[in-house]
Amino acid sequence: MMNFFARGIRYIVRKPTKSLLLAITFFLIGNLVILGMGISQASDNAKTLTRKKMRAVVSYEVDYNSFWNYLDNIEDSDEYEEAVRQFPSIDRETAVRLSEDERVIAFNYMQTNIAYTTLDHVPLGNESEDRGYGSYIDENGEEHEYIEPNLMIYANFYPDMIELEEGTYTIVDGRWYSQNDIDTAAKVVCITQEFAEVNALSVGDTITISNNSPSEFEMDRSTYEAAGVTEDDFNLELEVIGIYSTPEDVDPSSENFRWMSPYESPKNRIQMPMSTQVEFNLQMVEIMSKAHPDWYEGADMDEIRESSYTPSKVIYLLDDPLNVDEFVADHTKELGEYLKLNANNDTFRKMARPLDTMSFFANIVVWIVVINAIVIISLVTALTLKTREYEIGVLLSIGVSKLKVIAQLFVELIIVAFIGFAGACLSGSLIAGKVGETVLEFQTASDAQYETEDNNYYVWSDSTDYFTTVTQEDLLSEYHVAVSPLLIGEIFLLGTGVVLIAIVIPSVMIMRLNPKQILLEQN
Amino acid sequence: MGTILKLEDICYGYTDGNYKREILKHLSYEFEEGTFYTILGPSGSGKTTLLSIMAGLDKQESGSLYFQGENLNDIGLNRYRRNKIGVVFQSYNLISYLTGLENILTAMTETDNPLPSNRKELAYALLNMVGIADTKADRMVTHLSGGEQQRIAIARAIAGNVDLIFADEPTGNLDTDTEKEIIRLFQMLSEQYGKTIIAVTHSNEVSRFSDHRILLRNGVLNDL
Repeated sequence: MMNFFARGIRYIVRKPTKSLLLAITFFLIGNLVILGMGISQASDNAKTLTRKKMRAVVSYEVDYNSFWNYLDNIEDSDEYEEAVRQFPSIDRETAVRLSEDERVIAFNYMQTNIAYTTLDHVPLGNESEDRGYGSYIDENGEEHEYIEPNLMIYANFYPDMIELEEGTYTIVDGRWYSQNDIDTAAKVVCITQEFAEVNALSVGDTITISNNSPSEFEMDRSTYEAAGVTEDDFNLELEVIGIYSTPEDVDPSSENFRWMSPYESPKNRIQMPMSTQVEFNLQMVEIMSKAHPDWYEGADMDEIRESSYTPSKVIYLLDDPLNVDEFVADHTKELGEYLKLNANNDTFRKMARPLDTMSFFANIVVWIVVINAIVIISLVTALTLKTREYEIGVLLSIGVSKLKVIAQLFVELIIVAFIGFAGACLSGSLIAGKVGETVLEFQTASDAQYETEDNNYYVWSDSTDYFTTVTQEDLLSEYHVAVSPLLIGEIFLLGTGVVLIAIVIPSVMIMRLNPKQILLEQN
Repeated sequence: MGTILKLEDICYGYTDGNYKREILKHLSYEFEEGTFYTILGPSGSGKTTLLSIMAGLDKQESGSLYFQGENLNDIGLNRYRRNKIGVVFQSYNLISYLTGLENILTAMTETDNPLPSNRKELAYALLNMVGIADTKADRMVTHLSGGEQQRIAIARAIAGNVDLIFADEPTGNLDTDTEKEIIRLFQMLSEQYGKTIIAVTHSNEVSRFSDHRILLRNGVLNDL
């Protein structure tokens, strides 16, 4: 068989100079395309891989920055006071509606609070562990130290916590609190294994916590006694129903370790139904309204009870870290003013800026190269065609269709292009890797040089606990330019596209050829 | 013997400025099967134009051509060139980057006519028949002499198992001895294989050995 394919191959082999020059052109084009696409793909991969390493969590929270900015712009004092009264808070209905999104696999709707206990806490081993908050001198002239809280209450409104879903918490004895416990505000608690061991506690035992410091009671003892309030009224007795283990712990190498209080240790965390925590708070309100009735004059207790259920944090765990941005985009409009879904994206975007900039320019390079490649190959093919008119005339004279002539031309170009691109794949990864790293280093250095501090207000929130901390080094360590099979496939596909477009003009020229004219001119 | 090609009222001309020059004027003729024709005529009489029209390389202004009774318009010029005829040119017109054998195989691949499955052997046999040995058949055509290239061109013309061969000044570039060999080849194809040969030529030698000599003059064909 001597069809257009066989003839095309023979032309390439037997006209090696022309084929070689064309292959070198494709090789150079291929290197530039690999450079651009490789850098772009490596940037995307680094971002995706880093994203995948990050926990798929989104926090529904008050956007303090925008609210403070809003307040700063209010000049009228009455208006300012009214605005402060309308302080934004998380909407419970919205929080629950968002949890019904199919991408959400678990969510925490919870309050956290500090508490006091006379039990031993799990020791931190830092220098300020036993420090007091200060001291005061009572009416008898005796000096007393403030006692600092040593427990942190985690109270969730639903039993299926993110930590249980993810396996961060493992029940080692007993059980987790149930929906029934939440509905009935059962006085139950789950404690860490370490806290249980320190205090020789087991399931079925009871612990007593207080939401008031004993030293504070001492300070105001006469007022409380006059109102018939005893120190025990501040206490809550809870039955230990579960003991769990958690790998979470304080980091002794962290900067703030030496100043940490015991309640900041995850080992000193106690878990209870949110309804129990709310009742515990209301118990405090009731005591205070007895001791200081003027503080609560005209207060609506039902309103207080209702507002007590406002969570301090709402966290959603999604099925895939790559769904986080989409989830935020889908639901942001449903939120009220000065509320936001925080996916820790600002930090990530800032870190990824050098990669984004590089990727942007790399894509521009690819497009410029592709357009130039089409023009160059079109011109080369059209010029070559002039020298091959005679051959085309011969083929047409023996009945070869013009489409087959074009097909032969395509075969010749595509084979040469593939040879050039194959060479480019070998050299391109080295070039792209080196160039990419150099540009990235330069870009990272430039970004750091021109970095400006954002005008952010500092608001204490422990919701960041849920976000995975990644650094720019983590992100950049994932940046590897490699010629993957996918990239090779894309380059060859692009090459085929370039050849297909580049052959359009020569094809039009062929379709206009008249075999008689060509052959008569030759004769 | 039947008619293989019939020309009916063929007209062809071209415009040179305001002047319209008519090359072929209501030309009609019938070519018989298995006959070796030569068309003679002075330079500029339109011999090559006529051959181009008959070979389906160009289209007449008016009139019709019939191959074995079928109108060329119905056959389609490309299909006609591929399956019905072969053309031999003065400058051989072989594909330069192919061997002699590959030039023959190209014609064999393109035709829709039934051919034996052992095409390569058939191609060698055809080349042997026109006097090209196997060793030369495998050489690049650019490495062969003019006579050898013209023999290969003749072999290619008949490779598609066609009955009608056109030749445009087939010996124009050849020496006298080679010219005689090419003439003998045409005679053999006509006499032994029943092929119809229509050759346009200036050569008296070629026309002397043909079965039928026709003169193209003033746009019409006349038997000599």
